Amino acid sequence: MELIIEKKKIKEWLVVLGKDFKVVDTRKKVLPPKQYFFPVKEDLFSFDLKSKKLKTIDQSENILLLISSLNKLEAMTQLDEIMEKPQKDFFYWQKRDKSVLVGIVDESIKVPYGGDLVLEKINQKEYRTWVLNSKGRNLLKDKFFKKVLKPRTINYPSKPNIFKEKLLDSELLAEAVEWSWQSNHKIWNELAEKCLGCGICTYVCPLCHCFSMEDQVSLDNSKCFRCRQWDACTLPRFSQIAGGHNFHKTIKERYYNWYYHKFVRAYRQYGKAQCVACGACKDNCPAGIKIGEVLKEIVKDYKKR
Amino acid sequence: MSKPKIAIFEFTDCEGCEVEIVSLREKLLVLEKRVDIVNWRLGQENNQPGPYDVTIIEGTPITQDEVDRLKKLREESKVLIGLGACACLGGIPAIIDTKKRKEFYKKIYGEKYKPRGIDAMPLAAYVKVDFLIHGCPVNNQEVVRIISELLAGRTPQYRGYSVCFECKQAGNECRLLNKKPCLGPITQGGCNAVCISGGSPCYGCFGNREGAEVKNLLKILNKITDQKEIDRYFSMFLNRTKN
Repeated sequence: MELIIEKKKIKEWLVVLGKDFKVVDTRKKVLPPKQYFFPVKEDLFSFDLKSKKLKTIDQSENILLLISSLNKLEAMTQLDEIMEKPQKDFFYWQKRDKSVLVGIVDESIKVPYGGDLVLEKINQKEYRTWVLNSKGRNLLKDKFFKKVLKPRTINYPSKPNIFKEKLLDSELLAEAVEWSWQSNHKIWNELAEKCLGCGICTYVCPLCHCFSMEDQVSLDNSKCFRCRQWDACTLPRFSQIAGGHNFHKTIKERYYNWYYHKFVRAYRQYGKAQCVACGACKDNCPAGIKIGEVLKEIVKDYKKR
Repeated sequence: MSKPKIAIFEFTDCEGCEVEIVSLREKLLVLEKRVDIVNWRLGQENNQPGPYDVTIIEGTPITQDEVDRLKKLREESKVLIGLGACACLGGIPAIIDTKKRKEFYKKIYGEKYKPRGIDAMPLAAYVKVDFLIHGCPVNNQEVVRIISELLAGRTPQYRGYSVCFECKQAGNECRLLNKKPCLGPITQGGCNAVCISGGSPCYGCFGNREGAEVKNLLKILNKITDQKEIDRYFSMFLNRTKN
């Protein structure tokens, strides 16, 4: 038995869910779903000068995210894992625990790697339901879903993504990327002549999660806030420490660090690359750097060495 | 502890940045409780001579008299802060084409006129400036941030990120990807990308971001537009900036 919802009923179903959740459609947003649990800028806690007390700031709410891309759903699963170890990120989970992720996907699915409930397009009028956990099950309302033994199913193939396959061999990627740096591969000089260091690739990445801390005192001097905000490893301040020393003085070092973290360090730490081949970095890079192509060239040369 | 004495002065400019301070409204009253604004021509009637703890200067000197006054203010101030693009970068008065200027002198004032004007330069060309609050006009939240930092006894820090950070938050499409010129990637953030959100390009009024990749941006701009247009972008606020 399959659980089916008609396309035209989805809107109505979301209106009903809207009573329990703040429904956010992320499908046209430039910044990825991570922004709802790891906001661009957030006050973590405040210190009150008079009472001498610390107070955490709870900004969580029951939120339901609509996500249209399988890659972005997968990224959320991976980001959860990152925010889980070695230590649980309290502020991330404060918000994430209260959220539900709903995929509305217009391509055929073999296995969904993320989300609580995923709706998969099976023909022009209907979507099939994938329930991944109890959070997802709780969203099903009988009024909108019907059980069908064998629904009419059309195959909607996903766009070919060669890079997605490359990611399957994370070990090879990790070795190749590290080798390219150690062997002074010319591609890093070429990229240093292109990269603007603007940080857009890290902001739009559904998995980049580096941040910096900033303390702020209120204008009336009554409170002090600790804020964290997204940082980008392509920016010079990122690798600067107290006293002014900078570990990555040049854009070449900084840009390589982005690859190193994603493909080398992440592999050692988590056993896989911190990349889901969604292409957001490539699509948004003002310098036109095609990250997948960079890796392709590196792997090709690594195999030839 | 007595309240720090603040003075706000201006040289040649439009006073728009000071208007930004006025438009802090209630916040200005909160600030007034912690500092003594002892000299502010635009904001109050009773003004006192120096010395001052913090002097905020808007605009840029364009006569020798103004330059002398700036130097005197520097001597009288513990901390000197530039307010807005004119003070920090030379700003709008620095767009001037110095060759054309000579022609206009003759046309307007006649052959015998002896020019007194000095080409607009950033304040830092004449005196040591402790901090720059960038923008045309400044973002008044940045003014609050920097004054709060000083009052907390800390050294204010420049924004280490590009305009692109705030532009992405605003949900704007990238101008460069749409083949339209933009100086956002090399420009320091803090403006909330207001110009781009409003449909204009970024002309870099917040100054170059630390470690700006100007050469790499020029390669992209050269593909989008011609040298004349690129020069126009870089002369709007960055005429006195070495790139």
